[in-house]
Amino acid sequence: MIKFFLMVNKQGQTRLSKYYEHVDINKRTLLETEVIKSCLSRSNEQCSFIEYKDFKLIYRQYAALFIVVGVNDTENEMAIYEFIHNFVEVLDEYFSRVSELDVSFFNTVFHGTWQAHSSPYQIGSCSVTQAGVQRCDHGSLHPGSPGLK
Amino acid sequence: MSDIVEKTLTALPGLFLQNQPGGGPAAAKASFSSRLGSLVRGITALTSKHEEEKLIQQELSSLKATVSAPATTLKMMKECMVRLIYCEMLGYDASFGYIHAIKLAQQGNLLEKRVGYLAVSLFLHESHELLLLLVNTVVKDLQSTNLVEVCMALTVVSQIFPREMIPAVLPLIEDKLQHSKEIIRRKAVLALYKFHLIAPNQVQHIHIKFRKALCDRDVGVMAASLHIYLRMIKENSSGYKDLTGSFVTILKQVVGGKLPVDFNYHILLQVLQKYILLLYLTMILTISAIFIFLSLAILFECVHTVYSIYPKSELLEKAAKCIGKFVLSPKINLKYLGLKALTYVIQQDPTLALQHQMTIIECLDHPDPIIKRETLELLYRITNAQNVTVIVQKMLEYLHQSKEEYVIVNLVGKIADVLVLNTVDTYAPDNAWFIQTMNAVFSVGGDVMHPDIPNNFLRLLAEGFDDETEDQQLRLYAVQSYLTLLDMENVFYPQRFLQVMSWVLGEYSYLLDKETPAEVIAKLYKLLMNDSVSSETKTWLIAAVTKLTPQAHSSDTVERLIHEFTISLDTCMRQHAFELKHLHENVELMKSLLPVDRSCEDLAVDASLSFLDGFVAEGLSQGAAPYKPHHQRQEEKLSQEKGNFSWICVKLESYFITQVLSLVPISFPDPHPALTLHPLKGPSICCFPLCVHVFSSCSSHFYVRACNIWFSVPALIC
Repeated sequence: MIKFFLMVNKQGQTRLSKYYEHVDINKRTLLETEVIKSCLSRSNEQCSFIEYKDFKLIYRQYAALFIVVGVNDTENEMAIYEFIHNFVEVLDEYFSRVSELDVSFFNTVFHGTWQAHSSPYQIGSCSVTQAGVQRCDHGSLHPGSPGLK
Repeated sequence: MSDIVEKTLTALPGLFLQNQPGGGPAAAKASFSSRLGSLVRGITALTSKHEEEKLIQQELSSLKATVSAPATTLKMMKECMVRLIYCEMLGYDASFGYIHAIKLAQQGNLLEKRVGYLAVSLFLHESHELLLLLVNTVVKDLQSTNLVEVCMALTVVSQIFPREMIPAVLPLIEDKLQHSKEIIRRKAVLALYKFHLIAPNQVQHIHIKFRKALCDRDVGVMAASLHIYLRMIKENSSGYKDLTGSFVTILKQVVGGKLPVDFNYHILLQVLQKYILLLYLTMILTISAIFIFLSLAILFECVHTVYSIYPKSELLEKAAKCIGKFVLSPKINLKYLGLKALTYVIQQDPTLALQHQMTIIECLDHPDPIIKRETLELLYRITNAQNVTVIVQKMLEYLHQSKEEYVIVNLVGKIADVLVLNTVDTYAPDNAWFIQTMNAVFSVGGDVMHPDIPNNFLRLLAEGFDDETEDQQLRLYAVQSYLTLLDMENVFYPQRFLQVMSWVLGEYSYLLDKETPAEVIAKLYKLLMNDSVSSETKTWLIAAVTKLTPQAHSSDTVERLIHEFTISLDTCMRQHAFELKHLHENVELMKSLLPVDRSCEDLAVDASLSFLDGFVAEGLSQGAAPYKPHHQRQEEKLSQEKGNFSWICVKLESYFITQVLSLVPISFPDPHPALTLHPLKGPSICCFPLCVHVFSSCSSHFYVRACNIWFSVPALIC
């Protein structure tokens, strides 16, 4: 079961966050800082699966942005790892060179894409590892970007 | 309906492309004039958290004004909502906007509805009170002819939905299961899965529809229904054995390439894992074919499945080869997977561990702490009497290094498990090592460990092994090591450790030949006077001293102790001290009461106190009154008092003291008045037969005593 999904940059600023299990707002910032701290302390030669408190974190670094997914013990870590990469591939294809600030600017768009991409995940479990771009057209909804009117 | 659908679906991407930034972030920033954009730019430009807080609070207050203003259009509301989402993501509370999000979802057009639903799914949670307001909107959208709205409604339902309102939408969603568009069917299945998670009894009756979904012609729907099956099978695997055929067919289709490679069937494999004892030839052959797949995650699941189902040697070989490849891979993620796979496999096939011995040993000293931990987990499973010293040594090293509480609890539990195997036995090779390791474990993890661990340890010491001399040696060693530890200055031990030490010292100090019990008592006394010791530990300590007192011949430490604790503020300690004091006066009695090394013997308790029968008989024969049980005494007292007073009971419904006082009886020969008014605190009361003037304003209640029972009557100040 996925507990949360975060996109955090190296300075610890959250760009996107989605919690599948309710966490109080004041606890979220703390969680995010701790999570990014443990991710930052890892080097390239270390594996991408961290044990944090009583669940696991799977992270992937893309330039200055970390995508972190928190899962509980029953989840297959490799599947989530590949899934994160799929998501980034989808974004790349869609936005052609997506950058960190794009995530903030197109906040709702990213949420929408993540939602579409991970619709089985909404309930917190994985079933896609090799989604192609065609999944985007596979009936998913593309919300208009905010304020671009 | 279909051309409306086509129009909507084609319009959307066009709408999106229109607004998509041309090339890269620079262009985006330039053309971006939205308020969100400026907010984000503002935040990124700031350097301190304090400034960020100020800016966000400013933004939030302006947003609050905008959303509550009646003149705000829905378009503006959508824009505000996006900014609110951003602010909440940064950790600032924006709860004033929740209700507006719901309104936006309800009233907005397609795009605004989308943002409204998104905001709702981000802001609210399962038990939020505003969630009920969403139900109406969802119901309306589910019945809409616009497919996009139906999709959005289904998405929100599968994310958050109040449990109590499931019956309201259940029939609508069941309908959608037969919809012509596959995306709607898929989302309906996911919504039902969510319902199954939060309220399984409500979806019991539609299990037949899940089966239909499983055989659906669209892959997405089928994959979605697998989630439901996984969950249901986890709870009750025998009920779904007949579905194995369908699962295997699906697997075959995946292997045969008939189904798109998009989908990871590791869910499917997880489903199959549940059928542990099933001998199904086709399934086995199919799984062997899957090994050609390149996706590592699926490979991992295959390996896991192979070891869960009925063992077949060629499959096991293939799986073992696969694990080998993982473990030896230079890529660290694969190594981790390999170790994890080994952990599953190791108990069934220990030879595999032997093959990869060298790699495992290397991984023990790996720079990555996660790999180390995974290796320790693996080693814990293959601990036996030969390798226990090395493995526990490594675990202790890791334990000393780590600071996280969860890690400590976990490791301490594992070490204790290995060493104190459920009070039956221990893998430990010799006494000295055992005691030393347990000391190390207690000193590091004493406060966070499970309470069973020290109990099991003490029981192990008490019951011992078969060899009596061995046991004595073990206990002696324990006692000696604890005395040395207690001698060390300025060291603080966890409370549980102190408790363990005090029990052992109390029970087994008699084995010492060099130190006298008096010296041990002195050490325990020093601990007792230490402030850092908790009161629970102090009770253990004083119990130990009590056990040792009959062995020590007149110790003034004990006198001091008694004196100190008979006036202690802690009632538990006082009790112990008094017991010790009274027992101390009769040393012979104490010796027989607290025999040496009898902790394992059961105490025979005579609850009926039959040994006092002689004493009672003697008393009765001399004219003492026989025993009256409690209820009999109460009845007698009540009847006695009733005879004294000639009134009816005090009415307590009314709060007027006048009324109470009017029931003052006429005559009462009883020495103490039946009705007395005692204010809790207050200067004075002027009492007249019919009314009371209250001068006390401190208390709000009077205590009225009647029939020897106190009633509290709220005062009415007039």
